[in-house]
Amino acid sequence: MSTADAGRDGDAAPVVELTGVTKTYDLGGVVEALSGVSLALTEGSYTAVMGPSGSGKSTLLNLIGALDTPTEGRVVVDGHDVGAAAETERAALRGTEIGFVFQTFNLLSRLTAVENVALPLVFEGVPRAERTAQARELLADVGLGDRTDHRPNQLSGGQRQRVAIARALVADPALVLADEPTGNVDTETGSRVLDLFDDLHARGNTLLLVTHERHVAERAERIVHVRDGELVRIEPLGGRDD
Amino acid sequence: MDAAEAVRIAMRSIRSHRLRSTLTIVGLVIGIASVIVFATFGASVKAEVVNDIEGSSANNVYVFATPDDDEGFDRVLQPVFTEHDVAALESLPGVRHVIPRGTVDANSLTYGNDTIARQRVTATTPTTFGEETLVAGRGFRSGTNEVVLNERAARSFGENVTVGDRLTLSLAGNRSRELIVVGIVNGTEGQLPVSDFAEQARVYVPVDPFYRTVVESPSVGVRQRAYPQLTVVTDPTTTEATKAVVATYLREDSDARRLLPEETSLAARTSGDFVAQVASVIERITRFVTGVAVIGLVVGAIGIANIMLVSVTERTREIGVMKAVGARNRDVLVLFLVEAGLLGAIGAVLALPVGVAVGYAATRYAEVTFTLAPMWMVMAVVVGVVVGVLAGLYPAWRAARVDPIDALRYE
Repeated sequence: MSTADAGRDGDAAPVVELTGVTKTYDLGGVVEALSGVSLALTEGSYTAVMGPSGSGKSTLLNLIGALDTPTEGRVVVDGHDVGAAAETERAALRGTEIGFVFQTFNLLSRLTAVENVALPLVFEGVPRAERTAQARELLADVGLGDRTDHRPNQLSGGQRQRVAIARALVADPALVLADEPTGNVDTETGSRVLDLFDDLHARGNTLLLVTHERHVAERAERIVHVRDGELVRIEPLGGRDD
Repeated sequence: MDAAEAVRIAMRSIRSHRLRSTLTIVGLVIGIASVIVFATFGASVKAEVVNDIEGSSANNVYVFATPDDDEGFDRVLQPVFTEHDVAALESLPGVRHVIPRGTVDANSLTYGNDTIARQRVTATTPTTFGEETLVAGRGFRSGTNEVVLNERAARSFGENVTVGDRLTLSLAGNRSRELIVVGIVNGTEGQLPVSDFAEQARVYVPVDPFYRTVVESPSVGVRQRAYPQLTVVTDPTTTEATKAVVATYLREDSDARRLLPEETSLAARTSGDFVAQVASVIERITRFVTGVAVIGLVVGAIGIANIMLVSVTERTREIGVMKAVGARNRDVLVLFLVEAGLLGAIGAVLALPVGVAVGYAATRYAEVTFTLAPMWMVMAVVVGVVVGVLAGLYPAWRAARVDPIDALRYE
């Protein structure tokens, strides 16, 4: 089954557009991780992807995050065709148009909070003083203005995830991708992380959040249900209480 | 990514594994330092020897017969230079005088109750003694039983020999001669420069009456004294030209040319020629030994490659993260190359003082004057960095090729 989705607001340009995307892996036999998925994320939208493990939601995230290329179909991120882009171009795309937030934070342990946040700008060639200033500002925004020079192991789980969120935002990306961002923190901290995502949404960022927890997904504007490599249902969530 | 940031990140990584980095660097330091040590030591020995030779008279042309197939040092062989040759050479333009030199076979030399067997006795002429080398007394006169000792010979008896003492020289055929010591010297003119640093005990007697090696001169047909070595003292301004004239005479007119045994040839050398010869031999030895030390450098390089490979595996996840936030393959490659190059550079910089210090100690031990080999030092540092980068190439390439999806899943 193939599902087409035109996006919630017809007037806004899609930041991400998947058209008939299929991804297969050759692991002895051919495994179809995604089959014929079409999906559009409009600017400023907040989408959650839900599905059991093995459903293909990680593959979907990798494709939208320009970490991987589709076997068939087209993935377009902010006007760039991910499938047609060379590795170097995709790296640049990841650096400038996409911000990743991971379940396990994935901060570099040897770098301080501010250096971790500034890392994407390093590869963009932004001068040190400038990127440090931007990183400090973002850390202040996520409430870590007094922790800029701490190493990740000197920070709590919630603080680390906030550093990771600041890093995802530092290059002013078109899209923020979050993979189970509350999976490694307690409920209380998780809820504050989700509050932060609400703030980002309110400020006009485009968000895509992968989770298997219903209450996390419900923070979004709509939930995309994925199962066995197919997009089975898009569930709009009406009234949001923010 | 700018270079400064690459260095900063690489430094951070090196510092985070202190022990491991230290051991890797120590390996490289040993390699580079040994290259510097041997190069420095070789340069010092060369400078010392060359100095010694250059200190000897630059206006001397040394003439002797030497085997053709002998590579490296000349060897003085047959007594082929007749009195006729000596006289002919002395009449050549630019020649001041000619000092013949030969060896008298002595059974022993006795001073008081002390006898030294098989004492080497050099027969030569009075012109061999210069004012500047006389320590005490004067040179001997021809036709007398006067003797001159060098300082080492004077000290080699139970009691020190001084001017005025008497020695007994016991010659072949049970003949013995009473000698009067007239002078002590610390060197003579006409001695081959290469024998200067083998500071042997030397006893000098006049050719007349002691030197008895004779051959029939092919050109004048009478039996004459013949010497294995002559020293042609030239006008210092025309040494090279005179050397050519001497060589021509030897080649075309000399008795020596006809007395010469098979497969030997006549050589005329200035001290400059000896310098070149000796320097080239020492250089060859130095290059060989330094080459052996390069093996240490290779081992150091393998250490770097090894540690960088471990590092790539350990940091797979980190590489994944960097790629996810925009690092291109090239950025990752550069980061690891810079890290390997830094290890090499740190090793090289530390190896410099270590190598120089050990080299200095070695020269002190060998009692030669310390001379730096700056070219080798620059090369050691460059080689250190290059070796680091080369050793890091494969690991860095592996790092660059890490798939970010796999890397982010990597535990």
